[in-house]
Amino acid sequence: MARRTTPIDDEKRSYGAVWLVTSLLLFVGALWCIADDNLFRRPWKKFQAEFNRLEIQHLKDAIAAEQQRLDADPAYQQAVKTLADARVSASSGEIARQIADLQRELRRAQQQDQSKDLNLRFVKSELEELRFKYDDALHAGRPTEELLKEIEARGQLRAERQQVYTESQQHIEALQNEITQLESAVKTAEDEIAKLTTARDDVQQKLEGVSLGYLPGPKATAPYFGFDWQPKIPRIQQIVLEEFDRNNFDKPVARVDRCMSCHAGINKPGFEDQPNPWKTHPHRELLLTKHPPEKFGCTPCHGGQAPAVNSPETAHGNFVDEHGHLENVEFIERPLLRGEKTTAQCIKCHAGVQNLETADEIGRGERLFEQLGCHGCHLTEGYEDLAKSGGVTSIAPSLRRIGAKVDHGWLIRWITNPHQFRPRTRMPNFMFEEEQAVQIAAFLLSDTKQPSEEWLAAHPAPAAAAGTELAAKGKALVESIGCRGCHAITEDEVAGQLGANKDIAPNLAKVAEKTDARWIYHWLKNPRGYSPVARMPSLRLSDDEARAITAYLVTLGTKRPAPDALETRLTDVANAAAGEKLVRKYGCAGCHDVPGMENESRIGVELSAFGSKTREELFFGDRTDVPETWDDWTYNKLLTPRTYATKWIEQVMPQFDLAEEDIKALRAFLSSRTDSKVPVKYLYRPPGEDRVVAGRRLVARYNCTGCHVVEGRGGDIRRLYQEQPTFAPPMLNGEGEKVQADWLFNFVKAPVPIRPWLQLRMPTFGLADEEANTVVGYFEALDRVQVPFVHLERAALATENVEAGKLLTSKDYFDCFSCHQRGAVKPQGPPEGWAPDLALAHARLGPEWIIKWLRDPQKVMPGTKMPSFFPGGPPDVLGGDDEAQIRALRDYILSLGMPEPSPQQAAHVVTGGPGTSQ
Amino acid sequence: MRRTLVPSALALILVAGLATRAAAYEAMAVTDGGTLSGTVKFQGTAPPPAKLEVTKDPEVCGKEKTSPDLVVGSDGALANVVVTVKAQKGKKLEPPAQNPTFDQKTCEYKPHVLAFPAGSTVDVLNSDGILHNIHTFGTANPPSNQAQPKFKPKIQVKVEKPETIQVKCDVHGWMSAWWVSTDQPYVAVTDASGAFKITDLPPGDYEVELWQEKLGKKTEKVSIKPKEDTKVAWSMTKS
Repeated sequence: MARRTTPIDDEKRSYGAVWLVTSLLLFVGALWCIADDNLFRRPWKKFQAEFNRLEIQHLKDAIAAEQQRLDADPAYQQAVKTLADARVSASSGEIARQIADLQRELRRAQQQDQSKDLNLRFVKSELEELRFKYDDALHAGRPTEELLKEIEARGQLRAERQQVYTESQQHIEALQNEITQLESAVKTAEDEIAKLTTARDDVQQKLEGVSLGYLPGPKATAPYFGFDWQPKIPRIQQIVLEEFDRNNFDKPVARVDRCMSCHAGINKPGFEDQPNPWKTHPHRELLLTKHPPEKFGCTPCHGGQAPAVNSPETAHGNFVDEHGHLENVEFIERPLLRGEKTTAQCIKCHAGVQNLETADEIGRGERLFEQLGCHGCHLTEGYEDLAKSGGVTSIAPSLRRIGAKVDHGWLIRWITNPHQFRPRTRMPNFMFEEEQAVQIAAFLLSDTKQPSEEWLAAHPAPAAAAGTELAAKGKALVESIGCRGCHAITEDEVAGQLGANKDIAPNLAKVAEKTDARWIYHWLKNPRGYSPVARMPSLRLSDDEARAITAYLVTLGTKRPAPDALETRLTDVANAAAGEKLVRKYGCAGCHDVPGMENESRIGVELSAFGSKTREELFFGDRTDVPETWDDWTYNKLLTPRTYATKWIEQVMPQFDLAEEDIKALRAFLSSRTDSKVPVKYLYRPPGEDRVVAGRRLVARYNCTGCHVVEGRGGDIRRLYQEQPTFAPPMLNGEGEKVQADWLFNFVKAPVPIRPWLQLRMPTFGLADEEANTVVGYFEALDRVQVPFVHLERAALATENVEAGKLLTSKDYFDCFSCHQRGAVKPQGPPEGWAPDLALAHARLGPEWIIKWLRDPQKVMPGTKMPSFFPGGPPDVLGGDDEAQIRALRDYILSLGMPEPSPQQAAHVVTGGPGTSQ
Repeated sequence: MRRTLVPSALALILVAGLATRAAAYEAMAVTDGGTLSGTVKFQGTAPPPAKLEVTKDPEVCGKEKTSPDLVVGSDGALANVVVTVKAQKGKKLEPPAQNPTFDQKTCEYKPHVLAFPAGSTVDVLNSDGILHNIHTFGTANPPSNQAQPKFKPKIQVKVEKPETIQVKCDVHGWMSAWWVSTDQPYVAVTDASGAFKITDLPPGDYEVELWQEKLGKKTEKVSIKPKEDTKVAWSMTKS
């Protein structure tokens, strides 16, 4: 037997107190667990419950407001009164008595009807029984006569009882109809009210949908007797985007967004004035209709820790501290994107972000990135090929013949600080010392000596390109032929803006300080003759015109003295050698075509995934005052590019002098350069998007928008034509639909005057075939033109249409040729009053566009000189049918300038040509 | 940005348009209203009338015209001045019993300045029997540009909002006129003798705005007494 080790007293000792305490602790702990799990760690529940209450209140208010409107509506008042009257008359007076009588009668009839029905059924059963007996007797060989007689008698009886029952049924129906008739006033009145209260009833239904129902609740007030609509119990609202992300093994994984657990009202209208998290999404109609949250989630645009619901700070990954500064929460890699960084995400799916509604910053940012030439120094995926045009670096002017162009003293000043000479130039300031500038100039001049001298030899100074009179002529030309669409001619003028404080083309106010008459003259005559990558187009100037403009331009600015002994220093070989090193170090060839440096690589860091850089990857140098976030680093870098340089670490990025809004736009663009890729199914790639993107780049490169309004933007030169908008260049809205593809191709390659009243000239840009094709493709894609080619034959135009059209254009009707040129037949008066040559229409205009144009010219091109002739065509042509007249006019216009049909062609009349279309 | 073009009539129209729209006009019964009448003259030596070259349709339009943009008669009488009493309240702005008519005769607009209450429909006549077009350059009202060929002796243009609108013909570039659509009834246009008359003004002190397309805007002050005709002799000149 084992020895007892525990004293007997211990067994008798009570552990009641310990048990009580521990079980109490356990109980409290359990309560705490439940509370913590359901309340303390679930702040979203509070937010959602609050929203539910808000929504119920909102709907109740809506019902109350609608009720108030109804109460004030005479129609509703009348309907309510009608109903009340109908109810009263149905419950008292003569009609009520009649109804009561009828109902009594109905009850009696219904009772009797039951026994009548029963009697009928009995006789039916008996009849069936007899028929069976007859059948049985017949087969058994018994006599059947008696049975037959009996069957006949019963049949008779059945018919009688059937008659009685049918009459009873009819009687009941008649009574019911009579009662309904008497009560119909009430029903009609109720239907009438229901029609008026549809809006209120809809909201009522919504209210029932968003709430638990009509339950006792603390918020209830007097008329509800302690009952009110109760909010639903909060639930996690989660959206799963299948295969949206990729894990570290590059396997697709789902992304889970729970943002709407707190932001419950984000996709519900009516909460625009609420604070977050209950607020309705800004531009909800546009943004959430096109990107429903259940399909796109929230974080693809907004970032943030999608599944976190512990607290707003962890879900967002950042917060605004009491000083209004944005603080990141530690260890969170994808914090909430705020401000312009949200719209920056548009570019991840929309390649054509530059004209996207509500995506202004990112569009501006991308445009700046492309046009300031950031990609010249920084390799960036998707923008690698923009720096060169036909293999030649073309962001900035070619320096290949610089020796033939610039004043040497000016060159030194320019290299030292270009912003001094032209504050709005896109050339950044490298902050060179004068000595360095001389070295660079020495290199450039020696490097380009031979091609410069050759060019000069082939381009002698123009004879007599000076004089006040000539300059006045030149000024008039500059003001009238379109130079000012791109160039400003006074220091404070702005012609075309690249950014807030950057010009697209050089300001010419001090051009004579920079260059001379000889270069200007030949440049004007043929810009591509000096530089094959020139953006400046030819305005097809005659020698006299070029001389006049040269005479004018050389009056803008004066030469300034060069530094001492400059020429000696420029020819110093040591200087040139030092200059070459500087040119390489600072990456001049990233933007400029520099002989011998055609294959230099980009000197800046790659920016393809710059937006993904973490704080640890960013070098803050000595700037301890800059908050250590990506946003702050990037902002300060763009503001003062060498700000993070230290005693030991040099930085070479030049100063661009960007405006605040441009810095933010560029930062938005940079924030979109991340290493995460959006799955293909989310990408927005409508047909023609690539052509639109390519077209926009070309339009930006040649600054078409200096003169033309394209996609609703630009038309800078219109500032000079506010009083006479008809003398401004045409707006190109709908151009793809308007003109024929092959015509446009040939026109942009070699423009010819179309509008005789314009003094402005469409320049010759010397576009390569691919570029002209890009232009055509761009306009077609913008207008979604499916079939760009038009084939017209004279024989396909119905003769009666052509004849009727001819009659309509005559003096007695529309008198079209009062203004329009018709081949060699010119209108009266000076060319300013003329309108385009209609003999060109068949080769130029889209047949369907002509119809649209004739229907309402102002709608197609607001402000046009062309008046509307329709509706209201003459009643005596084509039966006064406007549409028939429009088609006839179109066919006649197309027939102009087209060769008459030969007999062979007439035999091959093409059906379905424009003459037969509707 | 510096504009080389002088801020022009267009800007003035805008200003005038905004000013008239600034305060809402209140209609009331006027019992012992006074009258404002008088003349507007050109101060100083009138410039010789500008010649307009007729470049088209001379058989209808004639050979040469003088510009109607500044018509100074004998004694300096200034025609086509829009006189606007800046009344806050007064008689009701009644749409005219008959539509105001605006004729195109010998390629000139008759009248050169046409004032009417906003909401009126203008009957545009074509007495010439050649193609004209009515191109209105409004901003508050949508711009319109309707052709009026020979077979349409009359077309109608409705002007809803108060505004001073230039009207031009693109077929005959020299043709220009002004429509003054008003939101109150105390507006008159001076005739060839520079005279105008505005009746039924509630007694009180008023600012009166004079506007002429070439001379711009000028403000005068006037005091109207019950049932009296207040005579004024105002003048305008080139600023």
